[in-house]
Amino acid sequence: MSEPHLQFVAHDRRAAPSASTTTGVPAAASTRTLVPLRQSTRIAARSLGTTRAGDLTSGPGLRARATVTGTAAIEQVSSARAEARDAVPTNDLSNWKNAQQDPLWVRLTLIGLAVGSLLLLVIIPVANVFYQALSAGLHAYWDNLFNDPDTRHSIWLTLIVAPTAVGANLVFGVAAAWAIARFRFPGRSALTTLIDLPFAISPVVAGLQLVLLFGLRGYFGPWLREHDIHVIFALPGLILATMFVTLPFIARELIPVLEAIGPDEELAAVSLGARGWQVLWKITLPNIKWGLLYGILLCNARAMGEFGAVYVVSGHIPGQTQTMPLRVDRLFQGYNTPGSFALASLLMLLALVTLVLKTVLERRTQRELAEAAKLHTVEIES
Amino acid sequence: MSIAVRNVTKRFGNFTAIDDVSLEAHSGELLALLGPSGSGKTTLLRVIAGLEAADRGSVHYHDEDVTRRSARDRNVGFVFQHYALFRHMNVLENVAFGLRVRGVRGPTVTQRVRELLHLVRLESLERRYPSQLSGGQRQRVALARALAVQPKVLLLDEPFGALDAKVRVELRQWLRRLHEEIHMTSVFVTHDQEEAFEVADRVAVMNQGRIEQLGSPQEVFDHPANAFVMHFLGNVNVFHGRVHDGKAHLGGFELEVPEHADVDVSAAAVYVRPHELAIERSAASGRLPARVVRVHAAGPVAKVALRAEDFGLEIQVEMPVERLAALALATGEVVYVAPRRIRVFVPEAAEAALTPEYAI
Repeated sequence: MSEPHLQFVAHDRRAAPSASTTTGVPAAASTRTLVPLRQSTRIAARSLGTTRAGDLTSGPGLRARATVTGTAAIEQVSSARAEARDAVPTNDLSNWKNAQQDPLWVRLTLIGLAVGSLLLLVIIPVANVFYQALSAGLHAYWDNLFNDPDTRHSIWLTLIVAPTAVGANLVFGVAAAWAIARFRFPGRSALTTLIDLPFAISPVVAGLQLVLLFGLRGYFGPWLREHDIHVIFALPGLILATMFVTLPFIARELIPVLEAIGPDEELAAVSLGARGWQVLWKITLPNIKWGLLYGILLCNARAMGEFGAVYVVSGHIPGQTQTMPLRVDRLFQGYNTPGSFALASLLMLLALVTLVLKTVLERRTQRELAEAAKLHTVEIES
Repeated sequence: MSIAVRNVTKRFGNFTAIDDVSLEAHSGELLALLGPSGSGKTTLLRVIAGLEAADRGSVHYHDEDVTRRSARDRNVGFVFQHYALFRHMNVLENVAFGLRVRGVRGPTVTQRVRELLHLVRLESLERRYPSQLSGGQRQRVALARALAVQPKVLLLDEPFGALDAKVRVELRQWLRRLHEEIHMTSVFVTHDQEEAFEVADRVAVMNQGRIEQLGSPQEVFDHPANAFVMHFLGNVNVFHGRVHDGKAHLGGFELEVPEHADVDVSAAAVYVRPHELAIERSAASGRLPARVVRVHAAGPVAKVALRAEDFGLEIQVEMPVERLAALALATGEVVYVAPRRIRVFVPEAAEAALTPEYAI
């Protein structure tokens, strides 16, 4: 028998609770640093939001803010607080900012480059569209838009195709996002990948595959002809093509929102006696509404502007299968520059409205996510 | 109404969350499921609520088998760990939700909600939204919401887990008083033994999907069924050695263990709680010489860390501060440590691999 060994193990149960709470803050951190953490996350979230919006024009101020993330922000905020309390006049903060700043010529060059390319690639072309459209005067502009029956029809057609495609994708998107975010099932990752497929496929190919399926010589062609149903070169084809290319928008937008919110509220509703539809209408949809609207907006913008896929299935029949983008192209090809630009300006206006709404909704969506995160963290002040 | 769980097993993929568990909560009782994370306590609670389906076994409310019934039809009040309040509804709407989806309309709803808000002392906050409430207030809203549908049983998942220490202590005393008022069969999950002991009538200690011990707080603390329970319920000094002839041999040091007179094993573990060790000035048999390393005298209980140099191990001792003052210990001085009460757990062959290095 071996020598009896002696060993001492200290087991401290009291350390456990702090380890399993979900603060996301090391247990050792003092309460003084805990409180600023929330502020700093807010700062970080805000700066992320601005960079995502692609706002490069605000220059060094934004850049400095965007680099304030994680621990740097905690230290900065908490040190600022400590200073304020101790009332010791120091210039730590301004020093810190200076350390992050580049020499003047670097800043000027970078800002110049950003502003220059923005001007050249975005602002001048956009302004030119409106300039060209209005160059012959307001009266001609109005004439070009609404007194040409084919143009008028193209506007009307777009107003039918886009909302129909968005509506169909709304149902599909909510259902798919719900399934992916809430359930684990075989084929789940395959579904997630499939949703992204339309992003990867060229719109022209998307249109072609529809022609190959539903065209006269396609698989379903003979059957469709027999029953006198027109898909290709008709409204159903336009809708199908638009649906295909805009399929990912809503589901893509909703999956992260649903995942951040988590299933608890829905389960709570079920345990309180709510049925499936009640859970969807009263709990899930109100919680995801901003993300959902954002998805609808993006989906709609793309649906109205879609050219490639629709081009292939439309057959370019003026007054029948020409949506707005197709009509713009046709007018331009026919040397009707003012008419073409007038219609283009309408699409451009839509884009600008979308952009404004997108910014607003993006902020709301961020708040939705931030609130979800907040309700899951420990309350410090109470 | 009593709740019974019979031979319930639940797996997630290859992971067995609950392993053939049977348990009964008596009518009107407040039962705690206590265990470390991953011990299956929350899963068991969710199986009872119908939020998870058991792979095997059955759940009974009173005499009724509810295994196949959905959470919606079981009529349980469930309080989620993070409360899961409906963030787009104010307090009033949150509490009224259960009544509304069951088709209750009109002034009955408002009246019932007001009663409940009075019960949880939140009358003045009925127009607030969850994000405008503190953690403790959210917790009470969640409780009022769960009680609104007049459930037959109340299930709480880590009800105080997401609160800070002070609020946690207040709320658990409040929950105990509330339970005495409404006397509803309740089961709550916690990883905090202090919480379980203070609030519950009985405690089920869980580990690795099984119930290790079930009993009143006093029983469980005084007579731990096995090494896991002993470890889990507070600080403990562990000595590894050999049990032979009714004696535990720890190095050159011997302790009488008459209850294990008939065993002879080489890998037994001897457990002594820090407050069950006494410090003496004089040497005697059954006393271990040790050098004082640190003395913490803050609070009602003084903690002394000692080092038994002959064996190279550290020992923790707790005693009332008065006793410490009487001893007048100096760091570096050699004293004698005498166990007043020891527990020996002789590992079964199968358990031998599990017991020794458990730590949280």
